[in-house]
Amino acid sequence: MTDVTQLIPQAPHGFGFTEDHDLARKEARRFLSEHSTREHVRAQYEDPRGYDRDLYKQALELGWLGLSVPEQYGGAGLDALHLLLLWEELGRALYPSPLFGSALAVEALLRGRHEAQRGQYLPEILSGNAIATFAYAETGGNWGADAVSCRAEPQEGKWVLSGTKAHVPFGASAGLLLVPAVDHKGELGIFILELPAAGIEVKPETSVDPTRRSARVELDRVKVPHGARIQGDGKAIFQRVCSLGYALLAAEMVGASEAVMLMTRDYASDRQQFGRAIGSFQAVKHPIVNAMMQTELARSLVLGAAAAMSSTETIDRPEVAEHAARMAKAFAEEALSFTVQRGVQLHGGFGFTWDCDVQLYFKRMLWSRATLGDATEHRQALARVLFG
Amino acid sequence: MSGHEEGESKELAEFRAEVKAWIAENKPPKPDFKLPLSFLEVESRQQFDYLREWQRKVFDAGYLGYDVPEEYGGRGVDRDRFRVVGQELARARAPFMVNLIALQWAGPTILAYGTEEQKKSLLRGILSAEEIWCQGFSEPGSGSDLASLQTRAVKVDGGYRVTGHKVWTTLAHFAKYMILMARTDPAASKYAGISYFLFPMETEGVEIQPLVKLSGEGGFNQVVFDDAFMPESALLGEEGQGWNIAMTTLMFERGANEGVGRERAAGFVERINTLAEVARRQRRGGRPVAEDPVFRDRIVRAWIEAQAMALAAARSEAPQLNADRPMALPLMNKLVMSEWAQRVAELGCEMLGAEGALWVGDENAPDDGDWPRAFMNSFGMTIGGGTSEILRNIIGERVLGLPKSK
Repeated sequence: MTDVTQLIPQAPHGFGFTEDHDLARKEARRFLSEHSTREHVRAQYEDPRGYDRDLYKQALELGWLGLSVPEQYGGAGLDALHLLLLWEELGRALYPSPLFGSALAVEALLRGRHEAQRGQYLPEILSGNAIATFAYAETGGNWGADAVSCRAEPQEGKWVLSGTKAHVPFGASAGLLLVPAVDHKGELGIFILELPAAGIEVKPETSVDPTRRSARVELDRVKVPHGARIQGDGKAIFQRVCSLGYALLAAEMVGASEAVMLMTRDYASDRQQFGRAIGSFQAVKHPIVNAMMQTELARSLVLGAAAAMSSTETIDRPEVAEHAARMAKAFAEEALSFTVQRGVQLHGGFGFTWDCDVQLYFKRMLWSRATLGDATEHRQALARVLFG
Repeated sequence: MSGHEEGESKELAEFRAEVKAWIAENKPPKPDFKLPLSFLEVESRQQFDYLREWQRKVFDAGYLGYDVPEEYGGRGVDRDRFRVVGQELARARAPFMVNLIALQWAGPTILAYGTEEQKKSLLRGILSAEEIWCQGFSEPGSGSDLASLQTRAVKVDGGYRVTGHKVWTTLAHFAKYMILMARTDPAASKYAGISYFLFPMETEGVEIQPLVKLSGEGGFNQVVFDDAFMPESALLGEEGQGWNIAMTTLMFERGANEGVGRERAAGFVERINTLAEVARRQRRGGRPVAEDPVFRDRIVRAWIEAQAMALAAARSEAPQLNADRPMALPLMNKLVMSEWAQRVAELGCEMLGAEGALWVGDENAPDDGDWPRAFMNSFGMTIGGGTSEILRNIIGERVLGLPKSK
């Protein structure tokens, strides 16, 4: 009989939080509050690329993409707690950038067994010479390792790829595209494509969150070298990439939820009706308290996911980190959904306008929910773990 | 993973193994009478003796008192060992500590405000369950507005005389002491006129009347004081300091005491195992509940929430992590846990299908009727120690700085 305490790591001691984590978090918050202001975020809505290249260069110089990449590949070699604390700050500031897709691409390269591939691509990606991204989804709402219909056929010492990938993060800006495809033996492989190339058509989508651009990518008999396939168990690598994605999005959603909760708190403290601040009414106060509590619980699950990702146990049992990350994403999504909805409602008429910043977070919530599985889907996965 | 925790020292892991083995060896068998679900429902002498015997056994084995210095009868303050004992007791689904009001609320308050004499004479009896404690805060006219309380303590030669009426007094019928809030200065302001006493119950002028809960169970009472005497030594802290001391007690009651939160959280994760067992066993619509997608979703939701609470409790060990809002987690603790427990108890009832119509005493009632019983009793925790509504006000105002509700 399944014992739930075996399926997820128990609460760790102090979460390994140190002075260094604290300093790094504060530094990231300071940098983002200066550069990724709400005006900056709104300006990216109108930008053709959807992000500011100079600012992105600075973010990469700060080492944000390579935070938990081993130092031998140009990363900082820090733990998952560092990583998720940073992503909480990115979510709080809604920082518009291709970091998400790039982080997934980096993870796929790291989880592969091919040393030369890592050495070739990682420094390029971390330095920003190439924007990398990962094609986790296909059409019809399908995503993940079990939903890949893209084909990879061997031909004259090369791989020939055909199929359609959807919702590719910042696909239109990418120079490197990591594509999962099923080979002639029915095995899943992950292939590295350099863009542009013959047979690849990239069509920008209209994303619900303009700070999270995406594209549909059509692959029509695209030829890549034999060595473009990442070495290792493609399915396992794909799942590791997804697990990281759940955790990054969960952390971002916690930061976003925190920002909206505080915005709403401030508005309710200032706005006067019936001769008093509306935050003094319990019908207004209590939902804000609920939003804060949901945010804190979601943050706790994100910290748990960080601990699980860093735990030595996950070397042999990566599913432990996967479960923790699924929990964090499922809960954080519902926390953020609650917070943005109450945020709009409690801002009253102003909340319903384009000018009220809550809308920026509303859109991020919808995008994050739809990306890499929503709360219902993660709970279904966890139910299979619990009950089969 | 089942036993030790990530990053736990060898010494602590050994201690954990020792505690676990001792509990497995010594946990009392399930009795042939109905056991209370929590300290709120201890009604019979038989139940009480069984639970007191268990607490004493744990104490004698040396596992209670890791939050009390040795000179007062404890084991010396060791937060790690304190937490480990609590977690292992919860994981083993061992009976609860019957003197909980004293162990978790009164004891820590006495440690914080008591005289040397009070600490020396009272703390050991709390740990050994020799002396049971109850709490005299609420009154018929003073619930959420606690500071409006009217019970008087009038200074007389050698002590005080108490007249008044306290309600919802869990365990009063077995208690040797009560933590008592009473008004010593009616002329002073609402808050400044209150003092805090360690009231000896076995005295003339104290009448304990049992109250019956919505579940039909006893365990709590009202206590009427008619000119009842207590010695001067019963005063805790200074006269007029009672409100502040009571706030400390309430902080402990709401789970601010680090370690207590983690112990409860371990119990909640364990509760998910119970829920999963029921889901595999019970059938609805011709199939196990565990195969019903709606119930699967609800169970997993409760599981995620239990894990979130366990992790939130663990954050108390890294205060810098909570620096933006240090009082949020301590004040949320009881609120979140009690509302969760209520949802889970209701979910348990619903999982029983048609058998959810059976009550305690029916031979076919699943789990002896404990699910509907737990659901009804769960309201004790969402009302007691500050209602959920009052706690939301407190959190909104003190943690988030929202304007006061008038």
